Amino acid sequence: MEINHAETEAALIEKAQNGDRNAYGELVRHYHSGVVNVVYRMCGDVELAEDAAQDAFIQAWLRLSTFRPGTSLRNWLYRIAVNAALDVVHREPKTPPADVESLTLADPLAGPESAFIQKERTVIVQQAILSLTESSREVLVLREYGGLSYQEIASTLDIPLGTVMSRLNYARERLKELLVSQLYTLELENG
Amino acid sequence: MAKHITEWLNAYLDGELNKARTSQVEDHLAECAECSAELDELRRLSALLREPAPTGEFISTERFVSNLTLNLPRQPEHSQRRKVLEIGWWLIPVGTLGIWLFLQVTFTLSSLVLRASDAGLLGNTFTMVSSNSLQTDWFASLINWFGYQSVSVLSMLNNAELFVHNLIVPFILQAFLAVIYLIWLASWWLRQQKQSSSGIVQSPS
Repeated sequence: MEINHAETEAALIEKAQNGDRNAYGELVRHYHSGVVNVVYRMCGDVELAEDAAQDAFIQAWLRLSTFRPGTSLRNWLYRIAVNAALDVVHREPKTPPADVESLTLADPLAGPESAFIQKERTVIVQQAILSLTESSREVLVLREYGGLSYQEIASTLDIPLGTVMSRLNYARERLKELLVSQLYTLELENG
Repeated sequence: MAKHITEWLNAYLDGELNKARTSQVEDHLAECAECSAELDELRRLSALLREPAPTGEFISTERFVSNLTLNLPRQPEHSQRRKVLEIGWWLIPVGTLGIWLFLQVTFTLSSLVLRASDAGLLGNTFTMVSSNSLQTDWFASLINWFGYQSVSVLSMLNNAELFVHNLIVPFILQAFLAVIYLIWLASWWLRQQKQSSSGIVQSPS
């Protein structure tokens, strides 16, 4: 359900700060997909991402009194979500990221070839993202999947604007290097 | 040809450059095939990254919300404490203005009563508070000591002290209240600045 005009986000936040679980549920409903997208890109694993999303929303609930009215709830949640994702990854470092083979085995009757190639490509992209350092990965994820501006990323991660730009440049440069060769090979393999 | 502008291409692609820098980049792109190719690569990468995640494998939002709301722990007590502090914060200006208003009313009313008493409008009931009876202790002692020849000089000194006393006390009180109010106002302004600065979106130059 969308947060409607009658019950604005600010009102829901105030209610949630006073312990109203239903109001918080509305906020979670609104931001769930964004948070899941961000934590999935940080972890690269569906199960870990779900754990991280749950941790993030519980932490946000516990710290809701520290949220400053008038600032962006989305940015505040994304910051908590990025940290929760990193915590989950550190807690279970041995969990391997999804790979092409496991995806193939999980879906032996893959439909059209193009859909299969797309899935393989998704896995390759995700593995490339995971190979980035945490500091450049979080900047890239917040920009590409969180949709935050450079200034918002700087405020969210508490780093200078110049650092956001340099980390993003580095991340994209590195991804280009990694993906060009791998995707070229994939295209060759599939004709 | 001008120097390549590869360091600005990411920010250009993300729409994060200011007007001047954007037109500078566009002018360069119009004549530099190398930077244009680099920009195309960045566009392809961005499109690739934005391919959807396997969202079908995640539990639905509704189920997630139901599970989460059931598992939410109790919020810590400090949220209540914060609320009390917040109320206290707003009570400072309200209290200061209330005290100032009370003092103004009290000073005005006492002044009116004294004037009315001096004018004999209040009969004998208020003779005790008549301004004529306002003599400082030292004035009465000195009258007894020097006799009535020095009354005019002493009376002038007495009036001067009464004047200063009547002026200084309300002034100090009001100045004190004004300082408290101004300090609160400055803190409020700083707080607002801090809050708004976290939401400001600026373009890198």
